[in-house]
Amino acid sequence: MQVKVIFGEENLTEDVPEDYTIKELLKKLEIPSETVVVKKNEAIVIEEELIQEGDTLEIIKVIFGG
Amino acid sequence: MNTCSKCGNQQIIIQKKHSGQSLCQECFIESINEKVLKDTRKYKLLEKGDKVLMALSGGKDSVVALHILNLLREKNIIDIVAVTIDEGIKGYREKGIEIAKGNTRTLGIEHRVVSFKEYFGRTLDEMMGQDGTRPQGDTEPRHACTYCGVFRRWILNRVAQEEGATKIATGHNLDDETQSILMNYLEGNINNLIRIGPKSESRDERFTVKIKPLREIPEKEIGLYAIAADLNVHLAGCPYVGESFRREIGGFIKELSENHPTIMYSTLRGFDKIKSILKKELTPKGNTGECRRCGEPSAGELCKACSFLEGWE
Repeated sequence: MQVKVIFGEENLTEDVPEDYTIKELLKKLEIPSETVVVKKNEAIVIEEELIQEGDTLEIIKVIFGG
Repeated sequence: MNTCSKCGNQQIIIQKKHSGQSLCQECFIESINEKVLKDTRKYKLLEKGDKVLMALSGGKDSVVALHILNLLREKNIIDIVAVTIDEGIKGYREKGIEIAKGNTRTLGIEHRVVSFKEYFGRTLDEMMGQDGTRPQGDTEPRHACTYCGVFRRWILNRVAQEEGATKIATGHNLDDETQSILMNYLEGNINNLIRIGPKSESRDERFTVKIKPLREIPEKEIGLYAIAADLNVHLAGCPYVGESFRREIGGFIKELSENHPTIMYSTLRGFDKIKSILKKELTPKGNTGECRRCGEPSAGELCKACSFLEGWE
């Protein structure tokens, strides 16, 4: 199934399997989960949240290190 | 189904690994507000009538701290004046300043923007030279963060005096604090180690007391609060942040936290228990004098900021 991913300036379309979680998506995109907040269809979700066909996921980086 | 531990709402935004608590957006914001205000009372960070100088970079930590302290301002318990320091980092600081201005305008808080250029005659970019490695005339290469930290501390103390502030509040979080404890211990820097705490305790009245209201809130939760409360924050990394010992330690603690989610809390708690003994035994003797150049309190003939400035002249 396809989902839309917004990460900073990037707008991506990702193919993910059924029963895929936010945590698995972040791992696939190599984004450390402890540095971001994720919104699914404009609502903040936890990383265990399941992704569904057509979802829009916004990944907001909140920790930059230093 | 996982629901909010407080109200039963099914839309949760956090599952706290260290406590097992799940919270919805509204209860999460409320719980952070309560925790920060409770810590403020517990550590006696503020007193009625305090005038607080909020060190406001526009980043998530200081903006969140400003909004929570504003709850006390709205009740006429404290007064707040915010200050944003323009270090002079081209392409980075401008946005933070605009965001800081926007937040203070929204809350109706007095706001000053002061700069390294105005107080020291040069920006951080100019201090670091063309190649961004070290100031001209400085024989010992230092990281930009060293200069930035020294000059920012100097300005904060000076502006606090100018504004008649009784406290300086900063946005330091739990991650910052545990990193500092571990770094200073591992480096054997006991003088700096015993200064770590929710509130500075200098015997010298010329140093305005500094407080850290977010000291027990993990950085990730501050980021989540900023997004959940829809605050306008500057989400960007400073271009001068490169590899540093603090960053290494930060990475190490984050890695440990994966399997040991309480590790930052236990590091802080353990340190807070032994700190008073360490402080009693190891505080350097002697009185603080006065920097011959700027008049600020200083252990040596020159304060750290002026020793850098003189070295470059």
